Amino acid sequence: MANELDNIELRPARRRFMQSSAALAMTLIAPGVLLYKTGQAQSENEPGSDNKDLPATPRWGLLIDTNALSEADVDACVAACQQEHGWHSDAGSQTAAQWIRKIHLTDKQSGQQTVLPMMCQHCADPPCVDVCPTGASFKRADGIVLVNKHTCIGCRYCMMACPYKARSFIHEVLQDQLAVAPRGKGTVESCTLCVHRIDRDGANAVPACAEAVNRDGRKAILFGDLNDPDSEISQRAKSHGATRLRADLGVDPGVRYRGL
Amino acid sequence: MPAATRFTEIKTSSPQYWGLLLLLAILAAVGIGAAHHMDVEGHHISGMNNQVVWGLPHVFAIFLIVAASGALNLASMASVFGKVEYKPLARFSAVLSIALLVGGLAVLLLDLGRPDRLIVAITHYNFRSIFAWNIILYSGFIVIVLAYLWLMMERRFERWSRPAGMFAFAWRLILTSGTGSIFGFLVARESYDSALLAPMFIVMSFSFGLAVFILLLLTSFKLDQRELDGIHLQRLRKLLGLFSIGILYFVILFHITKLYGSQNHDFERFILLDGGVYTRLFWLFQIVLGTLLPLFLLYAPRWQHSSKSLVLACLLIIQGGFAQLYVIIIGGQAFPLNIFPGYRVESSFFDGVISAYTPSLWELLLGCAGLASALLIALLVLRVLPMLPQSLPGTED
Amino acid sequence: MRSHLTVLRCLMLSTLLGWFACLPAAAGEVESSGFGAVVIPQPVKPTNASACVEPVDIMRRDHMKFLLHQRDATVLEGERDSKYSLVGCMDCHNATEPAETVVRYPDPQHFCAGCHLYASVKIDCFECHADRSLKQLQQGQLDQPLEDQFPENQPGSALLSLHTFHQQLGDTGGE
Repeated sequence: MANELDNIELRPARRRFMQSSAALAMTLIAPGVLLYKTGQAQSENEPGSDNKDLPATPRWGLLIDTNALSEADVDACVAACQQEHGWHSDAGSQTAAQWIRKIHLTDKQSGQQTVLPMMCQHCADPPCVDVCPTGASFKRADGIVLVNKHTCIGCRYCMMACPYKARSFIHEVLQDQLAVAPRGKGTVESCTLCVHRIDRDGANAVPACAEAVNRDGRKAILFGDLNDPDSEISQRAKSHGATRLRADLGVDPGVRYRGL
Repeated sequence: MPAATRFTEIKTSSPQYWGLLLLLAILAAVGIGAAHHMDVEGHHISGMNNQVVWGLPHVFAIFLIVAASGALNLASMASVFGKVEYKPLARFSAVLSIALLVGGLAVLLLDLGRPDRLIVAITHYNFRSIFAWNIILYSGFIVIVLAYLWLMMERRFERWSRPAGMFAFAWRLILTSGTGSIFGFLVARESYDSALLAPMFIVMSFSFGLAVFILLLLTSFKLDQRELDGIHLQRLRKLLGLFSIGILYFVILFHITKLYGSQNHDFERFILLDGGVYTRLFWLFQIVLGTLLPLFLLYAPRWQHSSKSLVLACLLIIQGGFAQLYVIIIGGQAFPLNIFPGYRVESSFFDGVISAYTPSLWELLLGCAGLASALLIALLVLRVLPMLPQSLPGTED
Repeated sequence: MRSHLTVLRCLMLSTLLGWFACLPAAAGEVESSGFGAVVIPQPVKPTNASACVEPVDIMRRDHMKFLLHQRDATVLEGERDSKYSLVGCMDCHNATEPAETVVRYPDPQHFCAGCHLYASVKIDCFECHADRSLKQLQQGQLDQPLEDQFPENQPGSALLSLHTFHQQLGDTGGE
């Protein structure tokens, strides 16, 4: 009896509670649904979807053959990129920009050594683009991930989100920047895949790092269209294999490695 | 009792009050100068670098933003949960939450690489970005709380203050979830990447916001020689203890879920065992001084009725909050990204090594300016608008 | 008590006004020439070209529209052969040949700075873009074959040559 009375008295309060919880749940879930929808909308317009009416959009990428690269080769890549874009990095500086860097890997178990160049991986689903509040970090239609320095506010959230540590923040005032790589204090930057060369030469373009190591007919760094199944890069990836770094994250990098 | 509450501006002209205002104003001015200096020189004079991109200003900013949403608690207690005994504190609670948010946002803005592009941040939105949502959530919060405050103060519309309060409460929950998710959604970093960060930030906001609220309440009552019955402090003391236990629960849960996956063992070892400054901050300043000692001060029977122990507990909780955010934000970045699982990594770009970060004086000044301007705004509003109850006598029960 | 409030309100208002007064100074663009001594800018015409990309009156009015459109077309869509490029402007309007006569952007002698200081219109183009033509310097550097610049592919030497490159820029730039 006492129990029943308690229940009756509690009911309005409980109903109120249920109502407000439902309202709260709605407001909490709505942004998530919105996020999912915008995500869907974006991927439908992406190159490589099944829309047959549109001409195939290229997706530029690199295939880096670590077996064909010596340490000196990787140094040459770095130097060529510095030369091309006018950045330089004093050894040991924590704040200097590095668009491309040399990485030494040692397998923890076998002790096998690898050296490779590391740069922006030009992901198909780039986390830096997702997190950028102003949309300054963006992916071009041809898959190149860039920073629009005209709208970058320097919040560095993209640097937090990048799984590859590919981005640098410009910590000081700069002068006499090269025409192909405008860059200035307070904004974020990274490898552009030599976008100025690609805009000029299309599929025949050779990024500066590839140019530095592909002498004498070698193809240690291969540039090409990942969307075209007949392109050399796609063929080679098919026959020789190509590893995506942190494939578990599902961001689908456009830079692939052989020999890892 | 609530109907009889009379709200008045604070009227003291004691040297302590003006001295406090002057001190806060100087701190705010110096910090803005420091931010300007960083803007002109570039961030190389700050402690940040390409490894640790969010530094001390972010610790201050996020503390203030989190505390801002928590400071609204007392108003929510009255409006949402119908606890009339908190009603006299509701106005002050709303004022403080706006002031803290403004202070925190100012720090965040002034630490941008391009603070002059505020207009870009307002006009260009990427709706997939948590940051962009937060810009809307923060500005919306200020508008909603202002409206809520007005409805509470305008006798004709008082009945609307309850739905407004509910809306503000829902909004602040989303807001703090958004702040926690800034980190929680960073899937590439094992130091973050946890949905637990959102609820943890909510409980942190309850606790830090209440601690700041209590300190400022006691300060302004004391400066203006208003009567404050111990019964009110007893209630706040119990709440504060509860929130502290809540944080501890989430911290333990966070580390246990991380420890469960062996891929995170290195990170846990770093924070809990051999992370140097981060391990010390975690165990000594966050857990012992920031949680256990305050809990003892709040609950030990012999301290129950001492307001000094409450003040000390609040201060300890606030420093514990800073320690916790420092460990989360900076410790999380200091731990290297795991780009090549299974490999030892070396490079010229500090891959695979614990990153260094030493806060610079400029960053400290900027952070303090945010805190100071928040308190300055709150104290000035108390002076010009009737936000504080004339007195808070004890109740019959 | 009322008077107290008034004093306080005045204080707050004057602080606010003070802030606004400080804003232009913070932007760092206003020349302290004083109101009496305003000099009407006389931009120097380039000697290495006969005409601009559009008639002068159109350029005066609309140069920012051309640049803005070109900027977005280039960055977002990769459109790089437009005639309205900032690099193109600098190639004629601040060619800085001979090199010792180089003028930097905030200097009122700079083609852009003269009018922009006069009109108090802040631009941040030159925080990222070179404020002078680097055509000759760059051409000289890029025309060299790669092997000559990096003998034996030594990283040290590569960095060294880059450093010399930057020093060259700095020397000819002459702050």
